[in-house]
Amino acid sequence: MKIKIKCFSQVKYALGTDELTLEFEMGKTTSQLEQLIREKADGKLDGVSLRIAVNQKYSPDEIELKDGDEVAFIPPVQGG
Amino acid sequence: MVTVKIVNGPISFYLNDDSGKQDGAELIFNGRVRATEQGKNITALEYEQYEGMAEAELTQLAKATCEKFPIHDLYCKHRIGRVDVGETSLHVVIWSKHRKEGLDAMTWFVTELKKRVPIWKWAILEDGRKIPSECSHE
Repeated sequence: MKIKIKCFSQVKYALGTDELTLEFEMGKTTSQLEQLIREKADGKLDGVSLRIAVNQKYSPDEIELKDGDEVAFIPPVQGG
Repeated sequence: MVTVKIVNGPISFYLNDDSGKQDGAELIFNGRVRATEQGKNITALEYEQYEGMAEAELTQLAKATCEKFPIHDLYCKHRIGRVDVGETSLHVVIWSKHRKEGLDAMTWFVTELKKRVPIWKWAILEDGRKIPSECSHE
């Protein structure tokens, strides 16, 4: 399955891109994907709290991802 | 009723037409860009949004504010893109019968906005470098 990952602020800064598309076997969860993203960031996201949004909605609980999902790891927001 | 917009470019402020007869209070909040960011001089902030989700969350928050407090209307514009020092990045107007509920609603709305609406700031330093802002209210 293909998962699109949107990157903002510190996540964009850490990964050097604003969007990634990754392919996985079925069954990948949001927590597993977060772990992978943190590994890709090579320590640059250590200590940064990330909330997860799936298809543009906050997803407080770990869920299994589906083909075509759009996932964003949301660092602390700063509007205003 | 709420009106919420995310705009890329200068904010056009709400134009008061003096037509509201039921509200004794009209509160206006303008958030502006400060010249310093974590002790460093900056020339501007660049606001980044999660397009789609940011306006949806902001609209949901505005509706929740109208349900939580006895206010009549909420008007909000949030700017994205480059905002120079001194310019307005956030413009909010709230109408209520009396001032207290309007003031309480304004405080809650802006506080929650800074916790949940997916918008971020990048600081533009005097040497032109762009770095993620460290300013956070979570």
